[in-house]
Amino acid sequence: MVPHVGFDTDQIKDKARKDLLYLLEGVRGKKNLVLERGLAGPINLFVKFSTLQEYGVDKLFFLENGNADVSQRNVVFIARGESARHAQSIAADNIKRMQRESQTGHEFSIFWVPRKTLVSEKILEEAGVLGDTTTSEFPLYFLPLEKDLLSLELEDSFADLYLRRDPTPTFLLARALMLIQQKHGLFPRISGKGDNAKRVAGLLARMRQELIAGEDTNETSKLGLTPSTTIESLIVIDREVDYATPLLTQLTYEGLVDEVVGIQNNQADVDSSIVGTVPQPAPGSSKTVGAAPVETKKQRITLDSSDKLYDQLRDTNFAIIKSLLNKVARRLQNDFDSRHSTKTTAELREFVNKLPGYQAEQRSLKIHIALAEEIFKHTRTDQFSRLLEVQQNLAAGADPSSQHEAIEELISRDAPLTEVLRVLCLESCISGGIKHAHLEHFKKIILQAYGYQHLLTLAALEKLQLLLSRSSPMAAMIPMSGAGTVAGAKTNYTYLRKALRLIVDEVNEHDPNDIAYVYSGYAPLSVRLVQSILQKQYLTSITRGGNANNAAGVPTGGASQGWRGFEEAVKHARGATFDEVQKGEDRAVKARALLTGSGEKKIVFVVFLGGITFTEIAALRFIAKQEEARKRIIICTTSIISGNRMMDAAIEKGSLGKAIAQPVE
Amino acid sequence: MANPTADWEKVGDKFYRKIQLYTAVFDQDLELENYIVTGCSYGGAIALHRDETKLHSFRGSQASKSSIDLYSCAGKLIRRINWDKGSIKGLGWSDDEKLLVVTADGTVRCYYDLQGDFTQFSLGHGAEEYGVTACRFYGTGFVALLSNNHLISVSRYDEPRPKLLATPTEGEVHSWTLIPPAYTLSRSVEVLLSIGQTIYVVDASESEDRMLDIGPFTHISVSPNGKFVALYTETGKAYVITSDFQNRLSEYDSKSRITPKDVQWCGNDAVVIAWEDEVHVIGPKNAAAKYFYDGRVHLIADHDGVRLITNDVCDFIQKVPDVTDEVFRFGTESPASILLDAVEQLENQSPKADDNIQLIRPNLVEAVDTCVKAAGLEFSIHWQKQLLKAASFGKSVLDIYNSDEFVDMCETLRVLNAVRFYEIGLPLSYEQFLRLTPEKLIRRLINRREYLLALRISSYLRLPTDRIYVHWASQKVRVGSEDEDTICRLIVEKLAGKRGISFEEIARAAYDEGRGRLATELLNHEPRAGKQVPLLLNMEEDEIALDKAIESGDSDLIFFVLLHLKKKLPLASFFRVINSRPVATSLIEATAQADDTELLKDLYYQDDRRTDGANVFVREALKQPDSKTASDKLTLAAKLLADSKETSFELKSLQEATTLLKMQEAFDRDLTETFTGLSVNETIFKLIKLGYASRAKKMQSEFKVPERTAWWLRLRALVSKRDWNELEEWSKLRKSPIGWEPFFTLILSAGNPKLASIFIPKAAPTLQPGETIAMYEKCGMRVKAAEEAVKIKDVETVDRLRNLAGVGTVEGREIERLGAGLKRP
Repeated sequence: MVPHVGFDTDQIKDKARKDLLYLLEGVRGKKNLVLERGLAGPINLFVKFSTLQEYGVDKLFFLENGNADVSQRNVVFIARGESARHAQSIAADNIKRMQRESQTGHEFSIFWVPRKTLVSEKILEEAGVLGDTTTSEFPLYFLPLEKDLLSLELEDSFADLYLRRDPTPTFLLARALMLIQQKHGLFPRISGKGDNAKRVAGLLARMRQELIAGEDTNETSKLGLTPSTTIESLIVIDREVDYATPLLTQLTYEGLVDEVVGIQNNQADVDSSIVGTVPQPAPGSSKTVGAAPVETKKQRITLDSSDKLYDQLRDTNFAIIKSLLNKVARRLQNDFDSRHSTKTTAELREFVNKLPGYQAEQRSLKIHIALAEEIFKHTRTDQFSRLLEVQQNLAAGADPSSQHEAIEELISRDAPLTEVLRVLCLESCISGGIKHAHLEHFKKIILQAYGYQHLLTLAALEKLQLLLSRSSPMAAMIPMSGAGTVAGAKTNYTYLRKALRLIVDEVNEHDPNDIAYVYSGYAPLSVRLVQSILQKQYLTSITRGGNANNAAGVPTGGASQGWRGFEEAVKHARGATFDEVQKGEDRAVKARALLTGSGEKKIVFVVFLGGITFTEIAALRFIAKQEEARKRIIICTTSIISGNRMMDAAIEKGSLGKAIAQPVE
Repeated sequence: MANPTADWEKVGDKFYRKIQLYTAVFDQDLELENYIVTGCSYGGAIALHRDETKLHSFRGSQASKSSIDLYSCAGKLIRRINWDKGSIKGLGWSDDEKLLVVTADGTVRCYYDLQGDFTQFSLGHGAEEYGVTACRFYGTGFVALLSNNHLISVSRYDEPRPKLLATPTEGEVHSWTLIPPAYTLSRSVEVLLSIGQTIYVVDASESEDRMLDIGPFTHISVSPNGKFVALYTETGKAYVITSDFQNRLSEYDSKSRITPKDVQWCGNDAVVIAWEDEVHVIGPKNAAAKYFYDGRVHLIADHDGVRLITNDVCDFIQKVPDVTDEVFRFGTESPASILLDAVEQLENQSPKADDNIQLIRPNLVEAVDTCVKAAGLEFSIHWQKQLLKAASFGKSVLDIYNSDEFVDMCETLRVLNAVRFYEIGLPLSYEQFLRLTPEKLIRRLINRREYLLALRISSYLRLPTDRIYVHWASQKVRVGSEDEDTICRLIVEKLAGKRGISFEEIARAAYDEGRGRLATELLNHEPRAGKQVPLLLNMEEDEIALDKAIESGDSDLIFFVLLHLKKKLPLASFFRVINSRPVATSLIEATAQADDTELLKDLYYQDDRRTDGANVFVREALKQPDSKTASDKLTLAAKLLADSKETSFELKSLQEATTLLKMQEAFDRDLTETFTGLSVNETIFKLIKLGYASRAKKMQSEFKVPERTAWWLRLRALVSKRDWNELEEWSKLRKSPIGWEPFFTLILSAGNPKLASIFIPKAAPTLQPGETIAMYEKCGMRVKAAEEAVKIKDVETVDRLRNLAGVGTVEGREIERLGAGLKRP
């Protein structure tokens, strides 16, 4: 039997690389690669373009451009199988075109990510090209963005889930989790909040049944279906439960970089005028898969834990970035100056050996100072401080109508629509809708200020239940305590603000004692919910009047008791609540325990369905740090999200009477 | 009992043995020489088909019917498949005992269960025009040779994708063969063609001449491990070379002018050449053994030897395995052979038994191991027993011995003997059994409908039994004569609680048999939606299929059903089906938005979702190239909302949008600037900026732009126009509803501190005391700032300002003077 290995995100990375290279190897000779644009970033995370070249890749094209040429006999497509659009594009815009254009025959291969679908095959068949292609599966589900962070990197998952009500992301997430279960054993306990989260749990149960019913019933797969001894539990949080958190402006460094510059697949495109003086990083990685078509004005920088400085900075509150950067700069200077004090040649050699390290550090310091400067420019503006003030007042429960004047002013001053909508949605989420008359007024001035095409935007926001009138039936609050047995239809922030202590006034940004530091005083509800499972004692102590400072040191987790102690509070958040225990045969459980041994730190998987923000990640890492001695926390999500991305899902891009400038779909 | 070495023949320094597997194989009337005979590997079934190129005696109409007959190795007829599909150009087997039949026109039939059920596909790539001349098969696929020398490769049968290989040169192909993809460097199949004097190697991308000059070859054969190639020339010489054509290993002269019927490998060490009734086994260095038979001999190569089929016998020739050689070789004194002898002595109750044991005491473990292994390689039950007894005896003397292998071997031998039994007729060697794996052996038994034996073996070897039950049940629903309820109950009773049962397969069998109701009932017991749905669609149980798909949560499945239904049903009934299912509706909405707005309109119309319907038109309006058509679309949208109260806001907005477009059109015309595409605010802004104040005013009132917004717009527009006079005039006229601070800020950042400073006193009442200081400072007016500081008695600031200005300067002195009145702390 294969020796059991613990869970490690690197395994996933390795596997993805091996899978892809194996598939490429199967296509003999040189080949052109045609990639779905959305996959370029993720693939770049685990394989470099130079490696692909070693495996015979000659040129790279994007599927959406439809410009793949016929220079190679072999053409390999990589696209997501779930989307019928891609299949159509492959068939019509590419394969058929190439067959027309070129006299010689071509070998077409399609690698469907993460699985072949009936629909895509059907479309190929109907287009009459299925016979000319070889299709295979490239089972790329979770992508490790960091050692503790797995993402499906489904860009549109937020819109899919809540706007279009398309269950695909839910299904893919369940599939991905199922793969973890098959390898490491069942999650002994599954708890969660939200209707879609419940659906994931349901799917997991179903997939387990299907697996048992499947043909493959040998001993090993049976072992995979007993509760794991290395995993403690799975916690699923539906984004729907807490819309307010991502709508607030993120105040950690990484969060702000995302808000201001935007981070995609661990990479940010920064204007080269900002970091322009920075020399190219190592030449090997410069020509990365996605880098090819970026205009020269933008420079792509990688933001992950391989950059040691960034690793230190990313999760800290932006307020202290300046002093941190300062400190690092000074230390670097000192280290570097130490060369003057070297006396012996041995010392000198030691210094020279360290030189590359210094240079790398210096380079990254330069980048981050430039980035921080850029963000400062943004945060110093009048508009930014206005916005932040409005946001924080709303979060703290101030009377929303007192903020209206400020919001109106933002609109009159032509502030970015995203920002305006963010505050309005925030108000709607936190105070259970906006008064009908006020909402109509805002809608009117938004349409006048930004154009009537945003009738569609407003309709989408309503469908997302982000922007509702108080009189709308969807905005109805759950009955206040007492009759509260019905699952919440809407998250009641007024109640939860107290019950879970969402507002912490005295936050210390330098040495944080509570997750509230990530929003400078507001603790994300979503993460509080996770805490109510993992850090019961701590949460109890701060919600029952105790001071956060006293309890911070002793956050013992009553290991796995689900929602116990917080049932009442959880009822006031939107959607279904569940807590299930997965059992296996006793004999098998024992066998598994024997095989793996116990006493190891157990893993808790925290899953955010519908997306997670960098601030929430920072907050979860903060908890992980406190719980370090007892467990590991692995964060899983469908994609990284921010308020801007939520708004983008709704905002209509076209405008009336100007269609010529818009590409017709 | 005959000595096992009786059938050994020496070839070079190695022994080969011929084992008689079965006798009286075929009916004596069967003219085997007139048949094409191909056998499946691992002792599998044999297919016979009358060779159409040969004459045969007329035996009445019955016998003349063309057929493919499947026999076991023992000559038991498994199935007769009637054939009326034209001339067969390829007949072969896959590793999992699928029979492949390729006709001249390129049609391929794959008979997947020995019972006549088949799937069919065609080769394409010109096979129909040129015709298939021959085929060569390997474990999972085959290659067909067309009359124009084109080669078509099929590498799998579950999803066959015939592919054209590189085109070899013209010329007569004397003989050909292939190297399976598992053994090539390129991972694709390679074909060896004897054309002219040389051999061409063809794969997916190129055809390469190997530059030989000893051809043409009448036979080419590749060894089971793909490393060696045997070539037989017209002159009766046989060569063995490596498959990369680098080394010639041996050469043999058969001294025969007659072209042999067949050349095959016997394992990887020897080549077997068969003439009509004579067989040569050729080893390295020209060594050979010869066998003679009464009738025509057919060769069936297997992984570790070769089977010879004649009317009378089925023989197996293989190299004597090393352990067997060690035990039985004449005159050997190996420990194992002494141990074997000891058992015989023991049976004779001779004390020599103990002497023997003492003799080999130091090597006893090795001797036991050898006996166990040799037992496995033995076909004769007598010698199996004898060897196991010896091992058992040796074991009993040893203090410690791990008996696992002994036990396993006993189990394996029981299984092997059971399937070798002539009524089953699977003459597996031990090595073949290991390669085949027990699971696949079970599958072969299932295909032969030996359910009981399959079940017994499965439970004996602790293997899953689901497939056996499913197959049995499928048979049951096909041929069972009971009524449907009884059958369903019978099957469910028997299969309930067993793991891994695929009810879908059984249901499919029932459906194929025309028992629809039974199929539906059975399908209810299937937990896997992915399996249920396609069958349900076949059965036209559309709504159940949709429900099952939705239950599964797999959007692909749902969407697949929806596509199917959309195509099949009239629109009204399609909507009826999806309306009650929100997931289905939202999936249709999402895709229709991209490519089928008409469908969307209909959907919203019949569902009375007016706002959504109107939005479709709005979206269309956005795609219109000019205002005119866009307005038309907006009017259509408005019409939908006309008589509902709830949508009055949307209605009004749409009307406004139309008005805006109209006005912008007029502006575009009159002012030779583009306004279309801008929002109301942007339009007003642009108008003011361009100096059309009255038009802007008109717009403001037309759209009831709030006063505050209007002020902001005007302010921003004037600032960006740098119209300082206008700003100043304007500010004198009225009181600002947005305060004066924005005036200050915007004008200052536009670079006019002088004008900006005018607004400081205006704004002052709404500001915190002291803020004005900074404001003046920003305008560069330190004196004014100092004045303000004096007002609030801020000495420090005054001093700071003075220092900034420089003590000696005019400004400095002025500040000094202002500050003089303040009390110093």
